[in-house]
Amino acid sequence: MNADSEKLRITADDIRRTTFNAINHAGGGHYGGSLSISEILACLYFGVMNVDPENPDDPDRDRFVLSKGHAGPALYTTLALRGYFPVEDLKQIDKPLSNFPKHVDRLKLKGIEVSTGPLGQGFSISCGMAIGLQKFGRPGRIYALLGDGELNSGQVWETVMTAAKYRLGNLVAIVDRNGCQIDGETDDVMPLEPLAPKFAAFGWGVQEIDGHDVAAILEALRQAQSITAEPQVIIARTVKGRGVSFMEGRYEWHSGQVSEEQARQASAELGAV
Amino acid sequence: MVAQFVNVKDVYGDTLRELGEKYPELFVVEADLMKASGSQPFLETFPNRHINVGIAEQNLVGVAAGIAAVGGIPFASTMSNFMTQRAGDQLVIAAGYNRFNVKLVGSYAGLTQEKNGGTHISVLDLAIARAVPNLTVVVPGDCLELADVMRAIAIYDGPVYLRMPKLLPNDVLKPRQPFRIGEARVFGNGEDVTIASTGLTTSIALEAVGELAKAGIGARVLHMPTLKATPTEAIVKCAAETGAIVTVENHSIHGGLGGLVAEVVTENVPVPVRRIGIPDAFGLTASLDFQLDHFGITVSAIVKAAHAAVEARRRGT
Repeated sequence: MNADSEKLRITADDIRRTTFNAINHAGGGHYGGSLSISEILACLYFGVMNVDPENPDDPDRDRFVLSKGHAGPALYTTLALRGYFPVEDLKQIDKPLSNFPKHVDRLKLKGIEVSTGPLGQGFSISCGMAIGLQKFGRPGRIYALLGDGELNSGQVWETVMTAAKYRLGNLVAIVDRNGCQIDGETDDVMPLEPLAPKFAAFGWGVQEIDGHDVAAILEALRQAQSITAEPQVIIARTVKGRGVSFMEGRYEWHSGQVSEEQARQASAELGAV
Repeated sequence: MVAQFVNVKDVYGDTLRELGEKYPELFVVEADLMKASGSQPFLETFPNRHINVGIAEQNLVGVAAGIAAVGGIPFASTMSNFMTQRAGDQLVIAAGYNRFNVKLVGSYAGLTQEKNGGTHISVLDLAIARAVPNLTVVVPGDCLELADVMRAIAIYDGPVYLRMPKLLPNDVLKPRQPFRIGEARVFGNGEDVTIASTGLTTSIALEAVGELAKAGIGARVLHMPTLKATPTEAIVKCAAETGAIVTVENHSIHGGLGGLVAEVVTENVPVPVRRIGIPDAFGLTASLDFQLDHFGITVSAIVKAAHAAVEARRRGT
C-alpha cells in the first residue's frame, strides 16, 4: 500500500469512528449503511473530488450526491473532517431545528448538493446535473452514491437509461453493495444479481471492486475519470455495519440504537481517538 | 356564445423558442409528449437544450431538478395527471423540498384531455400542487396570458407548477395587463356577486356577467392566474364588497380554486360560496364542450349559482 492509500485508510477509519459516535450521540440511527461507506467517502473527498470547503459554490467543483440519504451522518462526518464545519457540530445531528437532519438537506448546510430521502430521486437529479454540466461545457463531475436496496426503485432504471442515452461520461454512480436492506438481505427482498451485466447491458461502464479497499476504490475512481464517452458505475462490495463485529453483515442494523455495553464494545473495535 | 377555444401548443412552442433565444440557460425537458406540449419549435432551434427522457415522468422531474441545480432553467412538461400523480413524490421532494428552480408544466389539464378519458383527466392536480410548500402554482386564462405567464416564471427563481390545458380562448382577458405572479385581476364592478375563476373557465365567467346583468344582478369576475402565492387580499376584498361568491373551475371542487376560496373566505370574511367544477367524480370520454355541459360548468349554471349565493346572503345563511 502506498502512502496515499495508507493516509486514506486512516481517514476512512476516522470517518467510521466519528460517524459511529455521531449516530450514538443522536440516540441511534442508520448505523449499518453509514459504516459501510467510510472508505468510499474518504476516497472521494480526500482523494479524487475537486472541492474546496472555502469555496463550496465554485461552479466548476465536482458534486457528490448522497442518493441513499439516510446515511446522512456519514456524509456530515466526512464534510466536517474535510473542513466544511467543526466536528463539534456533529452533535447537532437529529436535534430539533438543527441543520443536520437524518436525511441530508441542501438548504440547511453548505456542502450538501441535494436534499435526499425518497430513494432514486438523488440519482435522477444527479443525472440532470450531469446533463446540465455537459451542455454548459463545465468540467465538474457528478458522483452519486446509491444503496443497493435503492436499486429496487424504478426511477433508478429510468435514470440509467437516460444517462446512457446522453453519454454522460461526467456521471459516476457508486453502489454501496452491502447486500442488506431494511427487511432482509437483498437476495431475499428483491434479488439484484447479476447486477454488473445489467448496468453493462444498459450501456454503462462497470467496475466491481472491494468497497473497503481504498487502493481499489481510488483506482476505480481514476479509471472512471479517464472515460468520457459513457456513464460509469462502480459496484463497491461492502459490509453493512463494517467495523462493529455485532453489526457486520446484519440487515437488522440498518437502523437502531446500541446499548451502553454495545457502544463500549463498538468504540473499542473502532479504536479510540 | 362562449369564447372559442384553441389549441395552446403553438403558443407554448413559440414562447419557449422566444425564451430560449433570450436565456441561453433555458432547457426543455420532455417525457415523450413533445407533440402534446408543442415544444417542437424549441427542439428545432435549440436541439442541444431539448432533453427527452422517454416515458419516465419521475426521472423527468429529477432530471429537471438536476439541470436547475447547476444553473439551468428547465421547462419540464408532461400531462398534468402524470406530473402530479405519477411524479407526485418528485414534485414534492425534487421540486418543492429542494426548492430547485424548475418550471413543471402539466399539459392537457383537466377536461381538455377530452376523449383520452377518465384515466387521463386530471381532476386533482391543483389540490396536490397547492399543498406543496415552496411551489408556486399558476393557471393562465387565455393564450396571451399563457405566454405572459411563461415569461414571468422564466425569470422567477423558484419551483413553479404551470397548469396548461390543451385548449384556451385566445384573447379574452381585456384590457390586457402584464401578468405578475400572485396578482389577481377583477373584471367588472358589480357589487352583488363575485364569480371567482381560474384557467379556461374565466371566459365562461365573463359571459355570465352579461347574463346576470340582464337579470339585474351586478356581478364581477375575480380571475386568479396565480393560485399560490395566493391572492388573499383580492379574494377578501371581493368577498367583502359583494357578499356572495361563485367559484368556477376546470378541476375538482375539492382542493382546487373552490377549496381555496372557501378557505380564505371562511377565515377572513364569511359569505355564501357556491362551487362549480368537477364534483367528486372522474372525467368522461367526451369532448370538452360535452363535459363542461355534463358537469354544469356553463354560463347558465353560473347564473343559477349566483342567484343562489345572492339569495343566501339576503337570507343571511
